[in-house]
Amino acid sequence: MGLLLEGRAALVTGATRGLGRAIARTLAREGADVAFNYTRSDDEAAALVEEIRGHGRRALPFKVSVLDKPAVLKMVQEIDKSWGQIDVLVNNAGVGQVVPLALMEEEDWDRMMSVNVKGAFLMSQAVLRPMIRARRGRIVNISSLAGVKMMQAPVHYSAAKAALRGFTEALAKEVGRYGITVNCLAPGILEEGVSVNLPPPKLDEYLRNCALGRVGTFAEIAEVVAFVAADRNSYMNGATVVLDGAV
Amino acid sequence: MECTTCLPTPGRIDRPHTFFAHQMGNCATCGAAIEGRVVLRDAGVVMLKHCLTCGPSEETLSDDATAWVADFLARGDVPDDLPGDHLFKQTTSTCPTCLALTPADVVLRGGKVYFKKSCAACGPSEALVSENARYYVRAYAFARAGTEPLKFAAPVEHGCPTDCGTCGDHEQHTCLPIVEVTDHCNLECPICIVNNQYANHIEPETFAKIVDTMIANEGQCESIALSGGEPTSHPRILDLIDIANRDQIGRVVVITNGLRLGRDRAFAAALKARGAYVALQLDGFTADTHEKIRGRDLCAEKDAALRVLKELQIPTQLIFVAARGVNEHQIGRVVDLLLSEDHILSLSFQPAAFTGFGGGTFAHDPMDRLTIPGVIQAVEEQTAGRLKMSDFSPLPCSHPQCVSLTYLLRLPDGQHLPFARFVDFTKHGSLLRSSATLGASPEIHDTLHEVIHDVFARQDEIPHGPEILKALRRSLDVMFPDRALGNKEAVRIGEQQAKSIFLHHYMDRHDFDLERLRKCCHHYPQVDGRIMPACGFNMFHRGAAKGPDTPVATWGKRPWTPASPDAPVRLTVVG
Repeated sequence: MGLLLEGRAALVTGATRGLGRAIARTLAREGADVAFNYTRSDDEAAALVEEIRGHGRRALPFKVSVLDKPAVLKMVQEIDKSWGQIDVLVNNAGVGQVVPLALMEEEDWDRMMSVNVKGAFLMSQAVLRPMIRARRGRIVNISSLAGVKMMQAPVHYSAAKAALRGFTEALAKEVGRYGITVNCLAPGILEEGVSVNLPPPKLDEYLRNCALGRVGTFAEIAEVVAFVAADRNSYMNGATVVLDGAV
Repeated sequence: MECTTCLPTPGRIDRPHTFFAHQMGNCATCGAAIEGRVVLRDAGVVMLKHCLTCGPSEETLSDDATAWVADFLARGDVPDDLPGDHLFKQTTSTCPTCLALTPADVVLRGGKVYFKKSCAACGPSEALVSENARYYVRAYAFARAGTEPLKFAAPVEHGCPTDCGTCGDHEQHTCLPIVEVTDHCNLECPICIVNNQYANHIEPETFAKIVDTMIANEGQCESIALSGGEPTSHPRILDLIDIANRDQIGRVVVITNGLRLGRDRAFAAALKARGAYVALQLDGFTADTHEKIRGRDLCAEKDAALRVLKELQIPTQLIFVAARGVNEHQIGRVVDLLLSEDHILSLSFQPAAFTGFGGGTFAHDPMDRLTIPGVIQAVEEQTAGRLKMSDFSPLPCSHPQCVSLTYLLRLPDGQHLPFARFVDFTKHGSLLRSSATLGASPEIHDTLHEVIHDVFARQDEIPHGPEILKALRRSLDVMFPDRALGNKEAVRIGEQQAKSIFLHHYMDRHDFDLERLRKCCHHYPQVDGRIMPACGFNMFHRGAAKGPDTPVATWGKRPWTPASPDAPVRLTVVG
């Protein structure tokens, strides 16, 4: 069999670092042209462009916030105009924050919900226009184990990630008739993710309860994203796939 | 904008097939020539036959309905300038002289459609059926399964139209019951399609039984229309409205010439207080058109009626009977009136049918008359293209040759945009099942979502794309709130979202088509419990198909006659 995403065009949010970067890299390796947005480092974006091109694929970087609706619409229009298609959206952009409810400010809550949930909404709404026209598409939302299981995680983070699951299921129902699938991945603790900020006893507890006895890697999650976004994955819709090594 | 009565109410289901057309065939047992119902069922095409000797039978015509329909439609693909007559299909019509049921060839000639008939007693005759052959042929593509009433009013014994009505072989439930509550009138219209005897006002008890029957048969009705005669002549018309004001009935419509409304404000206020709707006959704006259609200059009376309807904001439908050479030049003006007033919800054009006390003798040429596409063409020409031929579609709720319509979405700036500009009705046919207004039904909800997604995805390509989305958002918000809506409330909210223009061509002795009657959904409930499809009743029972004193079929039964179990019921020659 050939590459998973040969001839496809993907848009990955929050792609210049961490899991987003791994996803962008993997999608390119699997044959997709990759557009991405970022908000911080131009150097990191330029490096990712080179990496994507290194796979023989086209890259389009956009310094755009997922919360800036006009800019998001313009970004999607430019991708559509340049490549004539947008087949895959990966809603990866998100923020984390370790803070107990007692100390949580209203601004903390709003920022968490905005970036993690509203951003996915605005991005999805924008790409759905070309996807409905094309009667095809794949939307992959990056949630978290904290959104599907009872864990010791910040309340606003868990709430936002759980919201993404509901968002996934409702949107899958709404746009499935157009050949568009919407799925969600819920990774457990990853090597360079929030685990960096975890107190050692909590990380130890996670590892004790994980059947594989280790944290996951960005690359492992990115491989699943590539498959979920591929045409070969044709009947999964509205699903939340937990990737936690069996906690 | 959905016919809530066409939707599956509890216990009511769609027909198990899509009625498509009539076609001549033979009984498989005795070989007798009979006219069968061609229906699309599952993926195939079947002819359903009813032999008076041998009973019902079926014949499979094709296992591939899609290909069969394509072949059927292709028979109508005849260039307008190709000389001669081109047989499109066959049906059963009536002899215009003796009114006998007569086989008819449906032929295409010079871009128009004609019936060619040959009566054994009276000889050949021809009649114009449609001024636009393409529109006529394309209408068959809109065929869609009808809905069954909860129960039929008559058994299947002798076939259509003798068994009316309606029998179990009728292909559509009653979308609009039209109850003739009186045969008194305050006008003598030259175009009158009924036959007033000035002898009957319906008793409230009898009317209540009819309402009960409709609810028993239908579960719920989007509308019930009170007609006549002139219904406002009934001394207890307000009591009748009160009787019809039931939860199961979305709206009570009084079809009136408006004379009483204009001079009796208290009466108009009483209608308003009861939530009644008014269907106002308005066939023109000048003395000469009123004189030709309604017998005298009614300009002042119509203006007075329109004023009080506007003042009281009574929800109004306009009815414009359009006749060749009489009032067709005022079609655009009535469209303007519809679009200019919020309380005017819809407009119904009725190309003149030459039947009834007046219409049966109205001067006309059966080879040169207005038909549905002709009226639409006039709409396009007289509205400077604001409405176009392509904005209209045949209505699959009835037989698609009977009714066409367009819906006009109210944009945020108050302008109206035809749905056809942004809805692909070949995909979203459920929006066309309707009568007067959008209804808050699950089916419409799903269809609107699909329409919204289509417009959303193409909003940069569609004129007024963002405005359409805002208007649809408004409609969704009010039509599907987070609370249950009653039937009446759903109807009222739905009708505010869009205006509609309907074209309903009632049949007469020239263009009567038994195939169309088979799926008629505008019915006259009778005092004896029958539910009579309108044109069948006008042709065979009213006794005025050729004007006053037209003989009634031996199996016919005049209006206002009580039930009689001994009455002869058999198919025979009329006249």
